[in-house]
Amino acid sequence: MKICRVEGTLVATARISGLQNRRLLVVKERGSAGKQVAVDPVGCKPGDWVIAVGSSAARDAAGSKDYPSDLTIVGIIDYWDEATAQAGSS
Amino acid sequence: MQIQRVVRDLVTSKRNFWLSAKSLRVVEDAVGNLEVALDPIGTKPGDFVVTIGISAARIAAGNPKITTDLTIGGIIDHWDEERWRT
Repeated sequence: MKICRVEGTLVATARISGLQNRRLLVVKERGSAGKQVAVDPVGCKPGDWVIAVGSSAARDAAGSKDYPSDLTIVGIIDYWDEATAQAGSS
Repeated sequence: MQIQRVVRDLVTSKRNFWLSAKSLRVVEDAVGNLEVALDPIGTKPGDFVVTIGISAARIAAGNPKITTDLTIGGIIDHWDEERWRT
């Protein structure tokens, strides 16, 4: 699972039917520069630190095996201090 | 899922059977790497899109037998280059 920070919501009206009306969020993985898009079945707000699952687990986590997601948020981290997390990892 | 931009159409006449009659697009990411994605919606060059990777790409294509590892999932309504690059 990846630790990500929510940047904001993503509006995509023209989408494939398989994606249904699920909320998509722009997230930034901790320690990487690139943005990614995750499906949000939990209900996060911008600035939240979340955990997200990838690969085929992302499909299950989004609600069904047929849901086309490769990154799904599975939980909001109650407390995450970026400064102490970096000190602990080094 | 990734945020990518459609660069152009891609024509390949000789294809794998399960990839036949599907539209392909060349897409670029924020740093300029080019990839090819299957397009089930009908995008045009310059559109910012959400692309779905790995095994979910096959489901997104509408049939798990379709051999793809990158499928366009939707067109982003509002997105700008500056937000994308940073």
